[in-house]
Amino acid sequence: MIRTLVRLVPATDRGKVVGYALLTVVSAILRGVGCLLLVPLLGALFSTVPADALPWLGALTVSVVLVWAVDTAVSRIGFDIGFTLLGTVQRDLTDRLTRIPLGWFTAERTATARQAVAACGPELVGLVANLLTPLLSAVLLPVVIAIGLTGFAWQLGAAAWVAVVGLLAALWATTRITRAADAADTAAHSALTERVLEFARTQQALRAARRVEPARNGAGAAAVAQRGTALRLVLLQIPGQLLFGLAGQVALVALAGAVTLLYLDGGLGAPEAVALVVVAVRFLEPFTVISELAPAIESVRGTLDTLRAILDAPAPPVSAAASAPGRDAPRVEFQGVGFGYGDDEVLRDLSFSLEPGTTTAVVGPSGSGKSTILSLVAGFHEASRGRVLIDGQDVSGLDPATRQRLSSMVFQHPYLFGGTIRDNVLAGDPDAEPAQVAQVMRLAQVDEIVGRLPDGERTDVGEAGAALSGGERQRVSIARALLKLAPILLIDEATSALDTENEAAVAQALSQDVRRRTRVIVAHRLGGIRHADRVLFVEDGAIVEQGTPAELRAAGGRFAEFCRHQEQGEDWRLRSAAPDHDLVLSPDPD
Amino acid sequence: MAARGFQGAVMRGFGARDHVATVVRTSMVTPHMVRIHMSAPTLFENVTVGPTAWLRFWFPDPTGSDREHQRAYTLVSCEPETGEFAVDVVLHEPAGPATVWARRAEPGDEVQVMSFGSSRFAVPDEPPAGYLLVGDPASVPAINGIVAALPDDAEIALYLEKQHEEDELIPLASHPGLRVRWVPRDGETSLAAAIDERDWSNWYAWAATEAGSLKHLRRTLRDRFGFPKADTYAQAYWTYGRAMGSLRRTDEEKATGQAPAVRPAEGEATGQEDVRSGGSASSAQDARTGQEDVRSGGSASVAQDGRVPGRWRSQAAKELLAPVKTAMIVAGVVQGVVTLVQLAPFVLLAELARLLLVGADEDRLWGTAVAFLVVFGAGALLGGALMVWLHVVDARFGARVRHRLLGKLVRLPLGWFTRRGSGAVKKLVQDDTLELHGLVTHAIPDGVAAVVAPVAVLVYLFATDWRLALVLFVPIIVYLFAFAAMMFQSGPKIAEASRWAERMGNESAAFFAGQPVIRMFGGVAASSFRRELESYIGFLDGWQRPFIGRKTFIDLVTRPMTFLWLIMVVGTPMVVSGVMEAATLLPFLLLGTTFGARLLGIGLGMGGVRAGVLAARRIAVVLGEKELAVRPEAAEPEEERGVVRFEGVSFGYRPGKPVIHDVSLTLRPGTVTALVGPSGSGKSTLAGLLARFHDVDSGAVTVGGRDIRAMSGDDLYTRVGFVFQDAQLVHGTVRENIALARPEATTAEIETAARDARIHERILRLPDGYETVLDGDGGLSGGERQRLTIARALLADTPVLVLDEATAFADPESEHLVQQALTRLTRGRTVLVVAHRLHTVVDADQIVVLDHGRVAEAGTHTELIASGGRYRRLWDSRGSVPAKAEVSR
Repeated sequence: MIRTLVRLVPATDRGKVVGYALLTVVSAILRGVGCLLLVPLLGALFSTVPADALPWLGALTVSVVLVWAVDTAVSRIGFDIGFTLLGTVQRDLTDRLTRIPLGWFTAERTATARQAVAACGPELVGLVANLLTPLLSAVLLPVVIAIGLTGFAWQLGAAAWVAVVGLLAALWATTRITRAADAADTAAHSALTERVLEFARTQQALRAARRVEPARNGAGAAAVAQRGTALRLVLLQIPGQLLFGLAGQVALVALAGAVTLLYLDGGLGAPEAVALVVVAVRFLEPFTVISELAPAIESVRGTLDTLRAILDAPAPPVSAAASAPGRDAPRVEFQGVGFGYGDDEVLRDLSFSLEPGTTTAVVGPSGSGKSTILSLVAGFHEASRGRVLIDGQDVSGLDPATRQRLSSMVFQHPYLFGGTIRDNVLAGDPDAEPAQVAQVMRLAQVDEIVGRLPDGERTDVGEAGAALSGGERQRVSIARALLKLAPILLIDEATSALDTENEAAVAQALSQDVRRRTRVIVAHRLGGIRHADRVLFVEDGAIVEQGTPAELRAAGGRFAEFCRHQEQGEDWRLRSAAPDHDLVLSPDPD
Repeated sequence: MAARGFQGAVMRGFGARDHVATVVRTSMVTPHMVRIHMSAPTLFENVTVGPTAWLRFWFPDPTGSDREHQRAYTLVSCEPETGEFAVDVVLHEPAGPATVWARRAEPGDEVQVMSFGSSRFAVPDEPPAGYLLVGDPASVPAINGIVAALPDDAEIALYLEKQHEEDELIPLASHPGLRVRWVPRDGETSLAAAIDERDWSNWYAWAATEAGSLKHLRRTLRDRFGFPKADTYAQAYWTYGRAMGSLRRTDEEKATGQAPAVRPAEGEATGQEDVRSGGSASSAQDARTGQEDVRSGGSASVAQDGRVPGRWRSQAAKELLAPVKTAMIVAGVVQGVVTLVQLAPFVLLAELARLLLVGADEDRLWGTAVAFLVVFGAGALLGGALMVWLHVVDARFGARVRHRLLGKLVRLPLGWFTRRGSGAVKKLVQDDTLELHGLVTHAIPDGVAAVVAPVAVLVYLFATDWRLALVLFVPIIVYLFAFAAMMFQSGPKIAEASRWAERMGNESAAFFAGQPVIRMFGGVAASSFRRELESYIGFLDGWQRPFIGRKTFIDLVTRPMTFLWLIMVVGTPMVVSGVMEAATLLPFLLLGTTFGARLLGIGLGMGGVRAGVLAARRIAVVLGEKELAVRPEAAEPEEERGVVRFEGVSFGYRPGKPVIHDVSLTLRPGTVTALVGPSGSGKSTLAGLLARFHDVDSGAVTVGGRDIRAMSGDDLYTRVGFVFQDAQLVHGTVRENIALARPEATTAEIETAARDARIHERILRLPDGYETVLDGDGGLSGGERQRLTIARALLADTPVLVLDEATAFADPESEHLVQQALTRLTRGRTVLVVAHRLHTVVDADQIVVLDHGRVAEAGTHTELIASGGRYRRLWDSRGSVPAKAEVSR
């Protein structure tokens, strides 16, 4: 935990960390001394001449003042480090995240990383001052006192050392037991929750199928089973909750017992014995602090683990290519490319090449790996086997800036950022001439949207573009992609049925784009295929057919079948039919 | 400073800052109320303004002394950018400092003002049944702020005390649901007596009046109508005849002691009332207003006719927790004892030390030591036993709650689930039940321990030596003051911080969702998040950095070492001078040093209880939701099985806000009826009514001549089946999923259904064919899941079918298969289809065009095109506007 923390501190501020550590030790020594001063102070006070205590009281006051001074400095440095972390960590994470390959972002990692990037700031500010400082001083103080007690009487010292070790061991065991018990409890609870949630989620299906009661009993049975588990877990949890308290009490008994025995042996005067009992209680206090800090430490540990995971995530090495591909439409080539997300193999041994300036449509059933092909060209993912070449250069060897310059893309779920429609289009090329912007807006049919809205192209698109409809977002994102001066254009067509303007926008992006580019479109409908020079038919991660659209249609294979289904689907109508009729596919044209 | 007395000093200490406001212009709202427009450019720098926010003004003393009087006024309008704002000042007779100043105020006049400790009204997260607002001219600005903040569908009952005839001239905010009643003041009780006799269940009450009226009002609301504390806000804005002596907001005072408590009588003391309907009142509202106007004549009779007080959601937790109430009380008491037992060793230790000092014999020492050990053991044992027992109690209680919850889920309308989304259900089932478990097993004992321990220590130490015990309060008081000052200074920042947290949550979600776009389009796309992050960090820095010193100070003050030093510094001279015995110091040294930490733990300990009670309330609210009921059937002649009739059906998700208006339709067996219309026209809602997602508010839906409300669920769903967009698969094999409604179906039947649904081939390609276990989405595409549910519907073979024609929304590559499956499914049934694309239903036997929940027209495609109505327009604009609206869903 501390190692991660130190790593997060910028190198220029490491000196502060050293200063902080030193002062924390000084503070613990001063406090230990202050505590041990109680022995002569109380000894004098309980003796026949209480006035002898006054100089010792002065000494105590001096030590308290020193502790205040040192701790004020410790706290300031602690907050200083905290604010440094606040200022740098979230920024660094943000930069780091944009370099990690997209494949790293599983749903789980995305969720935790999102939380960390958005909200770790406030936690980091107080981390050192509110958590680390009390924790360190609570560990160091008993050690200092134990050393002092050893000097006073070895029996007492021995008891103190045993107490330190025993209590820390108990604390460790408690944490382990509690963590295990919590994990088991969470598992049991979530198993039940799973059942109940499914029961709630599928109410429509269950009711329609008249299966509500049996399923309810199933979920109910799970609830009963969980009740048994929960009771067993209590027996696991209780030792964890009692162990540390018990250890503390045993330690107190041991220390008080040692003092009493020393007194009875005559090795210790009554006043000193009493003073030592008080010191023993003070000696144990920090352990309570540690146990109270435990939950907060667990939570911070979780955050720091997330941060470390992000910092340790692979960011591909940047090796400048000998000659980066130029601005002209390049040749794109796949050589025996394989790719998978985790254990799921998506692409198997894919080989094809796209000639400069051509338009290729990728077609195939859903889940066949079509979009992954685009991601590999764009460099979002790296092929796990084989090579993806752009003008002969391996994409994975290009530096991010070059990769970014090479391609432009229309995403299937177009994502717009807060700002105006114009801002979002300009994201494609902030330096574009107004005439160029107007042209791409016209091609992508954004002019139709802008003309309809009272604020025109100054209309705010809302958070994530929510103020626009799905089709409108799609068109803005087409304009954005067209504006970018990239020699490769990748289009991932939306799966949902779009309106005529959108189909036109996609078609014009392919056919009337003035720039010479190598274009690839993942097409779900005939409209997107009409302007393609070539078709790749992909199924189960492999190319099953490729050629010109006309060739493939004539061949009567999978592509031809796909076209036939599309045409039928466009004319499909829902209608009543007599029960005895055969299947009616209503092929009659409109 | 002296001019403002103690109040001023306290506020200054808390960091309140003075600003100078300059009068811009004044205007009379009524003869008794003046609106003063002012400007204070720096005032709103660190303030977030919301409804009912107020400012504190320091008015000069009318007698000419250098004293300043603090009065608070609600903002009527405000431009934080420029610092321009306005307040309404009620002119009282005889005049206090504010009235005197306001009467004479002219452009250019200056007055000191601060924005300190102002509270804001926030619309409750869960909307109440209505808002009961009670006020008088002085609180109208606040009330206008509230009314403006409320959503349009809120019902608002506003009672205003009329002190002058002209008061009714005060402009009120308009709102469609607002009902206003002016009540002429006739002493302190008249306003409270005027509140309608009705069931105020789940209403929220906000009252701000003169202190005397408020006292009666508060009592009426609580005792008579049953308003719980959580749903009531009551605040005195001013007092008749004397100054309000508190630091709280005071709208106006009278010159102390000389103002008569009698108000100018103007003949309205007879109790007649004016009823005014605010905003655009519909006829329905007028009718309701008239009805409710029947009220008890005078205050005397009010107290007698007994009415059942209403029920509030906020009280639901109490009912849910009733079964464990006794156990909780016992646990609290036992935990109290355990806490005391756990403190006892320290007392014994002090005793042991005392014995050592007086040189007691060995036997007594051993006796005390044994007692010490026994108490230790007893404490540990008792604590452990309590924990086990609580877990047993909780296991039983938790099982019961879950059982009730399951039973409830079965009887809730299906629409309850679709309207909530899985996240809310998950929160309820997972988080809230866990929180409830925490409440029973941990929160209550922890809370009791947190309170009992410091109190017991305090009592013990006071009993030992009260003088020394008092010293312990010094750090506590210093802490409280420093902490309060910090809280006051960061008051608005706290709300701002939570808004920032929410905003950053959304921003980072966008940052992650937009990663591909950021990587593709680079810097410009990413900069939005960077910008937000920079300002967030800037905000946190600006907020927290100034507190470093104070936080450090607070930490040092409450340390055990500080307490130890204080005890010794005060105790040593006492012992030296012989005022106190030395041994008296021992309890303080053993227990007093951690007293501060214990006391500060109270707040923390109670936090768990609060969270648990909130969770209990959420669960209880769900348990109290309205259920689908099976009503007794009137003997009706059976019609043909598949005939469906909507008879004058109306329905709304909220009372009084119908979504479906008086719809009548007949669906015949073997025909397809299509519902078309723009999104929001109610077509999905209407289709859902046939599947009993909700019960109709009026009219009836019948299947085969029987009202569907007279059928049990099983009865209804043997007749009515449905296939919607979200294909729901249950955990189980493919076979079980298809045969869900007919578990006894043969393999042949199941495979025929699968073939007809065009999914058989796909199933055979799954790892285990029909025996493949589907977990969640099971690796099937949207179209495949849809076909699986079609197979299920085919096997269930219901005569009536409700359908969502949503083939366009998933998986275009297998769209044609879904279409074929649907064609097969609809054959020979009574079909009601929600149509998204007009061209797919042109062959339907009946097309029903819905508009705002009413049937605009109905007929075949040819008829509707010929009639040239709404359908014709939809058809002509096909592909642009309506289709787009659907895509955006």
